[in-house]
Amino acid sequence: MAHPQIAAFARLAQGNIPPTRAIAGQAALLSRSLHDIRYDAINDEILVANGHAQAILVYRGAADGEEAPIRIIQGSKTMLNDPDRLDVDPIHNEIFVPDREGKQILVFPRNGIGDVAPIRVLKGPATQLERAGALVVDPVHNLLVVGLPYSDTGSSPPAGSLLIFQRTDAGNTPPSRIIRGPKTGIIRINQMAVYSPRKVVIAAQPGKIEEMEPDGAFVGVWSLDDNGDVPPRWKLIAGPKSTMKKPRGVALDPKNKTVIIADMRLNAVLTFYFPEIF
Amino acid sequence: MIRASRIARTTGLLAVLVVAALGFILVNPGIRPRPGSGFAESSERRPKASRQLVSIQPMMPMGGEMCEWAPASGFARLAASWHGVRTAQSVSARIVSAAADSDVSVEISRPPLRVISDRNPLFSAIAIEPESGMLMVTDQNLFQLLEFNRLDNTPPHARMTEPKRVIGGPLTKAEMMCAVYIDPRTKEVYVGNGDTQRWLPVFSKDARGNVQPDRFLKVEGAVAGMAVDEQRQELFVTIEADKMVLVYKKTASGNDRPIRRLAGEATQLEGPRGIALDTKRNLLFVSNTGNAHSLKYDADITKSPVQIPGTGRFEPASITVHSLDAQGNTAPLRIIEGPNTQLNVPALMAVDEERGELYVANNTGHSVLVFKVTDSGDVKPARIIKGPKSGIKHPSAVALDLKNRELWVTNFGNHTATVYPLTANGDVAPRRTIRSGPADEVNLLIGNPGAVGYDSRREEILVPN
Repeated sequence: MAHPQIAAFARLAQGNIPPTRAIAGQAALLSRSLHDIRYDAINDEILVANGHAQAILVYRGAADGEEAPIRIIQGSKTMLNDPDRLDVDPIHNEIFVPDREGKQILVFPRNGIGDVAPIRVLKGPATQLERAGALVVDPVHNLLVVGLPYSDTGSSPPAGSLLIFQRTDAGNTPPSRIIRGPKTGIIRINQMAVYSPRKVVIAAQPGKIEEMEPDGAFVGVWSLDDNGDVPPRWKLIAGPKSTMKKPRGVALDPKNKTVIIADMRLNAVLTFYFPEIF
Repeated sequence: MIRASRIARTTGLLAVLVVAALGFILVNPGIRPRPGSGFAESSERRPKASRQLVSIQPMMPMGGEMCEWAPASGFARLAASWHGVRTAQSVSARIVSAAADSDVSVEISRPPLRVISDRNPLFSAIAIEPESGMLMVTDQNLFQLLEFNRLDNTPPHARMTEPKRVIGGPLTKAEMMCAVYIDPRTKEVYVGNGDTQRWLPVFSKDARGNVQPDRFLKVEGAVAGMAVDEQRQELFVTIEADKMVLVYKKTASGNDRPIRRLAGEATQLEGPRGIALDTKRNLLFVSNTGNAHSLKYDADITKSPVQIPGTGRFEPASITVHSLDAQGNTAPLRIIEGPNTQLNVPALMAVDEERGELYVANNTGHSVLVFKVTDSGDVKPARIIKGPKSGIKHPSAVALDLKNRELWVTNFGNHTATVYPLTANGDVAPRRTIRSGPADEVNLLIGNPGAVGYDSRREEILVPN
C-alpha cells in the first residue's frame, strides 16, 4: 500500500535514482491519492489538496521529511468538498479548487489560513461545471481552464471537455469557449498545465478510468483561443514509442523545453523533449 | 558574344580566387595540414593578432541528452523562409494557426528523454497459508500478484527470488492491489484493489499470467484493507475514501450487495485502511490515518455516501475496536490513540488470537507495533520491531503464520518481505528475506502517481503518491 508522500527527484534523475527528499509521515497531514501538485516559484511553496480531509495544504518549497504544512485551508466556511485538484495563481494571489460534487469552482486567497471562505465561487447551470475535476489558471491572459470527464449517461463515444472561463468569472457565468466533441479526443481530463507565452494549455487525457491500458490516451495541447470541436494542436500519444500508457499528470520545464508526465500505469515519471510548444 | 564574355568573366574570377588562396596559405603557414594527418601542426603556429586554427578535435560521440530533430522546427524554418518571419516566436504562432486551419493534430510519438521508474516489484500486501507454505504478495509497482514459498530466502548476492507464479495484466482486474487473502481450504486468492479499480477479483490456485479472475465482486469503493471470517463466511473490506467498513458474503460476486455496513460519525472511522478480525473475542480492528470528514450515508448501503462540505479535519492516527457484528453508525468499543502508541500512518494489520496480540504495519514509523487486543487509549505498544538490523522500511502489511510461529512483513521501502519469530522485539534481524530486486538498488517509493510538479528553483520533479 503506497503511503502518503511527496517525493522530489533531481531533474536529470533517471531509472531508480532515489529521491532527493520526501515529505511524508503523520505530521505532514498528507493523504493517499494526491491528484494534483503545484509549485509556486514566486513564493517558493508547494501546494496539494487532501481530499480525504477536505483541506488545501501549503508547504515551504524546501520541505523535507515529516514536516507540517505552513498553511492549511480547512473548515466549514471553506465549502471544500472532496478537493481533488487545484492550481495557484501567484500573480493575483489566488488558489483555485474544483468541486466535482458541488459542480463549482472555489477561489481562495493564496495566503488564506484555516477556516477561510472563498473569495469567489463560480457556480450555476450556465457554467456547465458538471463533475469539474481539473483546472489550471493562466494568470497572463486571465483565463481559467476547467477539465470535465465524460458523463456515464452522455454521448457515445463518451466525451469530456475543456471549459475556458475568464479568470475572474463568478456566479452563474457561462464559459467563454468550450472545447468539446469527437475531434478533441477527450474522454476525461486529469492534470493540466498552461504555458502563457504561447497561450496554450497542456492536458493529460488518460482515457477511461476502468480500463487499465486504455486506447487513445494522450497528452494534448490546445490553444487557449480554441473553441468547439477542435483537435489538439499537438498530441503526444501513448504507445510503444513514447512508452506512455496512462498519463495522468503533466508539468512543464520551459527552460529545458520539456514536458514532465506522470504515468499511472507505468508507475513512473517521464520527461519528453517537446520544443514545439515552447 | 555574350557566351564569350561570360567565359572570360568566369576565368578571371577563378584566377583571382586561386591567387588569393595561395597568398593566404603563404601568409598563414600554420594552417597547412601535415601530410597524412588531419591535425594542425601546433609548432608552426605563430603568435599574431589575426585568427588562426589552433586544433581540430574529433566530435564528441552523440548520446545522452540532446535535442531531437523535430519536424515542426523544420517546418518552422521553412515557414520562416516562405513568410520572412524572423523570430521563432512568431513562427510558432503561425504553426499554431496552421494546425488549427488544417483541423488535424500534429501527432508526436517520440521516446522520453528520461524515465524515473523502478523495474523491480514493490511488495505491498501479503498473505500466508501455512499448511501448504503458499505465500502471496502483491506488487504495486508492476501490478502483479506473486506467489512464493514460505521458506524462500534470497541469498545476499542474488539479484532476486523468482516467484513460483505470477498473475498480472489488463485481463486480471487487478491493479493497485492493496490487500490479499488466501482461502485456507481452496487456496483461492482474493485481491483488494485500491485507488484505481473497484473490482475484487478471486483467482484459483492454478491461475497464472494475464488471465481473467475466476470470479469478481464489484465493491462499493476502492479497497484499502481486507479480512475474512471463515466461520461466518464473511468478507470485510475498508473503504478509505468513504470511511466505512463493508461486509459481504465471502462468496459474493458480480454486483452482489454488502450484507452490512459500518459507517458514520459515531464509528470514528477516520481514513480506515487496515482491518483485522479476532473471531475468538468477536472483535474487529480498524487502523485509521486520521484524515477525516463527515459523510451523509444513504439508507441503501450500496449507494456511495456523499461528503458534507467543510467538515474536513485532521485527527490523530488511531485503531478503532468494534464488535465483529457492528453495523450502521455505531461507536467503537475502544480506541487506541495518542502519542504513546507511536502510530505513524498505520497500514495493514493482523491478529494472533491465541496470544491476544494485534500487529500493525506502522508505515512511516518504519516499525511493526504489537498491541494487546485489550488495549485502549494512549498505550505504549507491548513490543516494537524496528531498527537497521530488522530491515523494516515503510512496512505496508503484516501476516501471521501461527503454525510456524512467524511474522511476515512487506517493506514498501526496500523491495523485501521479511520474516521474524512471532515473539520478536526490538531491532531483530529477519530469519529470512525475500527480495524482489538487487540489495543495492533503491526503492523510489512511487505509488500511483496521479500528478507531477516541477520545482524550477531547485530543478526538481515533485511526485505525489
